[in-house]
Order: sequence, then structure tokens, then C-alpha cells
Amino acid sequence: MSTQHAKKANVFVKDTQVVDRHDATFWAVRSKRDTMAHEIPEWEELREAASRIKKHTVTHLADYLERFAANAERNGVHVHWAKDADEYNAIVLDILGEHNVKKVVKSKSMLTEECALNDSLSAHGIDVVETDLGERILQLLGVPPSHIVMPAIHITREQVLECFRGHGIIEKEGQKAADSMHGDLKTLIAEADPTFLTRCARYHLRENFMTADCGMTGANFGIAETGEVVVCTNEGNADMSTSIPPLHVVSMGIEKLIPDYESMAVFQRLLARNGTGQPTTVYTSHFRRPRSGSEMHIILVDNGRSDILGNVDHWQTLKCMRCGACMNTCPVYRRSGGYSYSYFIPGPIGINLGMLRDCEKHYGNCSACSLCCSCDNVCPVKVDLSTQIYKWRQQLDSLHHADPMKKTMSEGMKILFDHPSLYTSALKVAPVANYLPDWLTGIAMSPWCYGHTMPKFAKNSFHQLWKKGNL
Amino acid sequence: MKVGLFIPCYVDALYPEVGVSIYRLLRSLGVDIYYPEKQTCCGQPMGNAGFQGKADKLVKSFDELFRDFDHVVAPSASCASYVRFFHPKIAGHECEAAGKTVDLVEFLHDILKVKSLPSKFPHKVSLHNSCHGVRELGLSSPTERNVTKFNKIKDLLHLVDGITVFEPERPDECCGFGGMFSVEETGVSTKMGQDKIRRHMATGAEFITGPDSSCLMHMQGIATKQNLPIRFIHVAQILSNGL
Amino acid sequence: MNSQKTKDSILSNLRRNVRETYDKPDLSFAKLEYPDPVAAFIKTATSSAGAKVIEMKEEDDINDLIRTAYPNAKTIASNIAGVKADKDPDTVKTPQELDGTDVSVVLGTIGCAENACVWIPQTMEQRAVCFICEYLVIIIDKNNIVSNMHEAYARIEMPEKGFGAFISGPSKTADIEQSLVYGAQSFCGVTIIIR
Repeated sequence: MSTQHAKKANVFVKDTQVVDRHDATFWAVRSKRDTMAHEIPEWEELREAASRIKKHTVTHLADYLERFAANAERNGVHVHWAKDADEYNAIVLDILGEHNVKKVVKSKSMLTEECALNDSLSAHGIDVVETDLGERILQLLGVPPSHIVMPAIHITREQVLECFRGHGIIEKEGQKAADSMHGDLKTLIAEADPTFLTRCARYHLRENFMTADCGMTGANFGIAETGEVVVCTNEGNADMSTSIPPLHVVSMGIEKLIPDYESMAVFQRLLARNGTGQPTTVYTSHFRRPRSGSEMHIILVDNGRSDILGNVDHWQTLKCMRCGACMNTCPVYRRSGGYSYSYFIPGPIGINLGMLRDCEKHYGNCSACSLCCSCDNVCPVKVDLSTQIYKWRQQLDSLHHADPMKKTMSEGMKILFDHPSLYTSALKVAPVANYLPDWLTGIAMSPWCYGHTMPKFAKNSFHQLWKKGNL
Repeated sequence: MKVGLFIPCYVDALYPEVGVSIYRLLRSLGVDIYYPEKQTCCGQPMGNAGFQGKADKLVKSFDELFRDFDHVVAPSASCASYVRFFHPKIAGHECEAAGKTVDLVEFLHDILKVKSLPSKFPHKVSLHNSCHGVRELGLSSPTERNVTKFNKIKDLLHLVDGITVFEPERPDECCGFGGMFSVEETGVSTKMGQDKIRRHMATGAEFITGPDSSCLMHMQGIATKQNLPIRFIHVAQILSNGL
Repeated sequence: MNSQKTKDSILSNLRRNVRETYDKPDLSFAKLEYPDPVAAFIKTATSSAGAKVIEMKEEDDINDLIRTAYPNAKTIASNIAGVKADKDPDTVKTPQELDGTDVSVVLGTIGCAENACVWIPQTMEQRAVCFICEYLVIIIDKNNIVSNMHEAYARIEMPEKGFGAFISGPSKTADIEQSLVYGAQSFCGVTIIIR
């Protein structure tokens, strides 16, 4: 009765060193987040406010979108609407084609990942350069992200060095990087020094910023009242991507909208504190108008979001601002790694979003939750994550994806628990199980015995003790 | 005050001594206790497996068995929480009994407001704050939230003579039981349990204690398999020790 | 692909799918305030944000302060009157010309104590000047430092050029094995001059 997630996770946990490091890394982020939360006396009020602003906005989203688009257009920005990934990718290609774009520098965007934009652009001969360091490493390695905020956390510095070497980056930028640190190139290479590697990437990306024809960003927030978008980064790559090339294309999920600056203050205070445990991202950049002599386009993407709004059980996933806090706190994510999940967004929010995207493909993630509810308590916008996962489990049977063994067990339990007399007589014979030798129960088919010994049945159940008056 | 005792299925079969402890403890506090014999389970195992619908009859009979009591007390935070919060959802309406169902710690701390106990337990224990106790019943303040710190279980344990109470590092991280989770996600569940036991043991405690027998059962199963020198005891057994 | 048609269908689908609406909440709850926002700002800026802070005195000369902070700087870029610069972001022909800038000097209009953010409105032709340099110098008035982001958002103004950014310290990354490195794609260090 192993799900797709469980099968992969069972392999991942075998390497204790890797799993302990993964767990410790994300627990450290969770701890930093806790410290931040405790430094703000009005923390819980902020969360409540954020949740209510989002509830308000998504239940008035059509009005807010109209206002946002009208304001953006008034600011000289081109606004496009895409109903799904295909439409979105076609719009991007159209814009890039019109400007004869050969190279795009791109800052991290989960939406472009969701729509597989990079594949579409590459297929049309456009050179896409991810400019977030983690994303660039993954792009050069040809592997997907394992976390939405710290996407390359599972890659070791030695792997980064090898990757950069393979792409000629060390050869080209190594000396300059070493000089900038007043260090010795050979030593820095031998140590796979993170600062050195970051510097190599800095110079490698700098050249791309200088020569790109277009900068693409996502949007952390869209502000309806002003028609501007807000992009938050630590590396400054979104700002570099948009202040040099003559074209800026913003990809924005329609749920990213908030009403105004007053609301923005609430989210600005919560995003980085929750996501990485910093008081702020280094850059909170507001883009309202195109740079002089350049163009700015915003593509508003639905791709299933307007349907989610109609989903009684799951519409609140639209409040999510992709901070990643639910992943960091999830004891299952920390011990199973991003790749154990079939959807590109892992952890509690990813389980839910994956099911909403394609339940046939992603139902195998629903087991990745012990229902500990920690995610509900960290979520800055109070998405009812664990309740939603519980609800998906209730639906698996009607989707024909319930585990047959679990179904049989549940049916067995029903018979047992609905019939007290049957239940009592079962308890009377249960202690017999104790007399089976441990090696036999230990290798029994029961998955419980993978990590546990069988619990011992009491000689007399409480029922029996009560009846006998032996209390 | 008429109190109905709800002894969930696995406590009934595996840990009857926990039920006995509660019975004795509440009797000593002058509470009238009844044990409806037709009770079985709270239905959570089916719910967590994705078949809460199969618990419909059980929910109905639970309400019939328990609705006439002033309070319903259970020695398992998770089961009490399931009854209180999920029975009305399964039934599709308010359930009288569910609204009166509490975990033992809530009953002693919030309803009886116990301020002293004659019990003794001259041992070091590490307190297991189980997830549903913390985050559904509010037995202690969740570490995720910026709220005033409190811990009702600790308050009660401190009434016991001779006891030393520790909390592990990561005091309310999940132990990895999660009902069906432990048989479906064996690798992660076991790893979570191992990590949790290690942190409990690092406190130097002789016992791991908690208000939820299911977490204790899970950790005990792992500790026994690995021959770890640590013992497990339900909070009720400590609170009633030496009565 | 018909943009108007898509827009209409998205909007009507959203309207159809709303069951229950929620009001915009009241945000007037009490917020974190520091007795001395300037002192708190300096503390945050020099600790978690990783910036340097200089408190300018009456008799100080701004160019001397910049020179002393970055004695090895060969190219300084700024459009601030009175700041000696080798490049002017208002007159360069392309943003690329600003590459190789050692120090950029810009004006911040609002500083925020809780997170060391400073609002830098685009008051120059090429905003690349704010990001492309090795080191950034931000000049801000001490009277413009507030406690929290609610106050900051209430006071910032978007310049005519339509871009502004809150900046808190040097660009950072921890993407390689979680080790914190200053100077990812943008400036490696920040000096904030409070006058």
C-alpha cells in the first residue's frame, strides 16, 4: 500500500546523512521564521489581516482585475490575458517575436515553471537564461527545483563546481572571481568555495544581462489601485533583468492581486519573514511604468485559477503567496525531499495545488501528510492546508484512486466498530497474537513492521476489566 | 457531575491500564464515572485513510451512548479531537456528545481546575506534546505562533511530587504516527519517530510521557525494535501514581 | 487567440464562481513602533541587512565621506547635485555604459526601522545605476526614518518614471549549501549615509 510519494520517500530516507542534512537545513529556516514571528507583537493580527485581505480580493477578483488592467494600461503598460498555459506561451512568443528577441534573462517565477515556458522558448530557438543563482544552477544541470524558494538546496557545492566547470564558467570567470576576493584560484576551486562559485556566476550572468533583448519576471503582488507589480528578490536579479534590456515581460497569476499599498504593507512584512526568516527581502521592487524607450507587458494568467475559486473545499489555496513556509515546517517534506512529490511544488501547498492541477497525475502525494497541522499554523495567509489534504483523501475513493488495502481495512473497521458485540469478542482473542514469535510478526506483511515491533495486546481489555469489576 | 468515559479501541485493547488509571484518578477526585459498554472507536482510522463516510453509524451510536453525560472524557487527545471536530462534519449537524468531549488534560485543567494531587512520581520524564493536543485542542501553545506560552500538561505534571519534567528540542514536532500514515509512509514515519525518540532521550529522561496513547504506541514500537533504553507512560498513569 | 474574448471569459468565470464575498478588513490594529526609529534603523541595517551606516555631521563633506568609505573606487556614478561623479545616469546613452561602476550614489526618501528598507525612487534616466554597481551609497534624511512598513507605504511616492524599490542592504544569496554570500547579481555592499 505504498503511494508514489511513499515509494520515492522510502528510497530518500535510506541515506541518513542526506536526509538529516535536508531536515536540518529546513528546520533552521523554520526556526529563523519563528524568531521573526516573535519579534513582531502584532504577528497574529498580521496573519489574520493577510488572510482576510486575500479572501476579500479573490472574492472580488473580477472587479480588481479590471481595475488593475485599466490602471496598468493608463500607465503605458501592455496587458494580456491568458486562459491557460498554451495561450500564455503563445502570447510570450508573440511579444518576443515582435521584438526579435534572441535572448531572455529571467528571474524566478513559479508561474513560468507551471506553464513550462522555458521549454516552449527553447523549442523556438530563444536562449533563456535563469538569473536566480539557484535556478541557474538547476537550469545548467537540467534538473527541476526541489523547493519553491530555495530551489537548489539539495545540490552540493562540489556538484555546482563540476557543473560550472562543465559549462566553461570556471575557465572563463574563475580568475576574475578569485581576484575579486583577493584569493588563490586553485585553493578556491579545491575548496569549492561558495563565495567563489557565486562570484563566478555573478560575472557569467552579468554578461547575459548586458546582452539580453528581454527581461522576464514573475510578480509577487499586483496592486489594483495603481496598476503596478511588485517583485521581491534577494539577489537583485529581477532588477538587473529589467533595467538593462529594452523589454520587460511580467507573468502574473491572476490571484496575485491585492487592493492597495495599505494591503501591500501587510504582505511585505510577512513574505520574507515566513519564507526565509529574514525581516525583508533585499529588494521589493515596484514596476509601474515602462522605462523610457522600452516596453513593459503584463500577462495575466488564469490556467485553472478561476475554476479553483468555485471549489468549495479548495478555493482558499488562491490566498497562497508562495512563501514556502509550509514546506519548511512540514516534517514529511523535510524527510522526503522535493523530488518525492510528483508536482513541481512540493509540501502541503504542493499536494493541494497538484491535485487541483491534475488529480490523476498527483494523487500519489496525498499520503505525504501525518496531519500534524503545523503548516496551518505557519501559513501567513491561513490556508487550511491540512484540512484540505484530509478532504482530498475522502475523495480518492470516488476518483478510483483509493488504496485497495486501506479500503479493505476501513471496511473491516466499519464492520468491527459498528457491532459492539463483534468488537468485544475480537478483543478477547486478540491476545493470541502475542504468542506468535517476534521474528514471525516482524517479517509479516504488515508495513507497520518495517519500523515497529507489534504492540502487545493486553491480557484483558479495558472492556473485560470493567465487566469483571477489576478496576 | 456525570462523566462518560470513552476508552478508544486501541487503548481498550493494548493499554487498558491507562483506562484504569483515569478511572481511579477521577474517582479520587469525586467524579461520577460511567463506561458505556457498547462503545468502540472514534472513527479517525477510517477518516485518515480517506473513508470517513464509513464512520457514519459509529458517529451516530457514539452520540446516543454519550449525549446524556455532562462531560465525555478520553485518554487520547487525537481521538477526543476527532470526536469534537469531525463527528459533526460526518453527521452533517451538531452532535451533543461531541460538543462535550474532552481530553483528560482539558478535563482536569479547565473543567475540574485541579490545583493539587496526592500523587508521586520521583522520575525524570520528557513530555511529548502530541500534534492534535497542541494544534487542535490547545493543550499547549504551538511553537509556530506568537502567543503567550502555556502548557496545560506540564501544569498538571508539576502537581506530582518528585517529578522532573523536560521537553525535547523541537517540543511539538510530529512523531510521525498519523494513523494510516505510519503504514502508508513507512520510511518517513519511522524516520520521524526515530528522530523524535532521539530528542526525547537527549533530555536525559527515563520516561517519555504524553496525553496521547497513539503517539506513545508508535514511538514504543520503534524504540523496542531498536532496543532503545527508554520507557513510555501515559500522563494519566503519572497523575494517578500512588493513589 | 483573442485577448478580449479571453479576458471576458476569465472575468465571467470568476464572477460565476464567487459564492460568498468578504469585506476588506480593518487594518487599524496597533503596530510595532520604536521609541527611537533612527537607532532601531541603524541596528537593523548593520546587523541582519549587512549594510554600513555613517551618521553625517554638520561639518562633514559628502564627497569626503564617500571617498573614505570606498578609497579604491575608480568610477563613481550619480546624478545628485554636489556629488562628484564620473558617470551620470541621466546622460549615459545606454544602461550598459554603467557596467563597471564601482560606486553608485542615490537618494533614499523613506527608511524603515523594522527591516532596514530604504525607498529608492527612480529619479534618474537609467535606473540600472542603482543595481549595476559594486557598491551602493544611499543618502537619507534622519527625519524620514519610520518604524514599520505600514508607515513607509503610507509615505512613499511613486516618481514620474514609474519605478521605485525598497532596498535593504547588499544583494545576497544562500543558494549554494545555504552559505550566505553578499554580492549575488547586484551590489556587494551598501553604505547608508544618514544626514
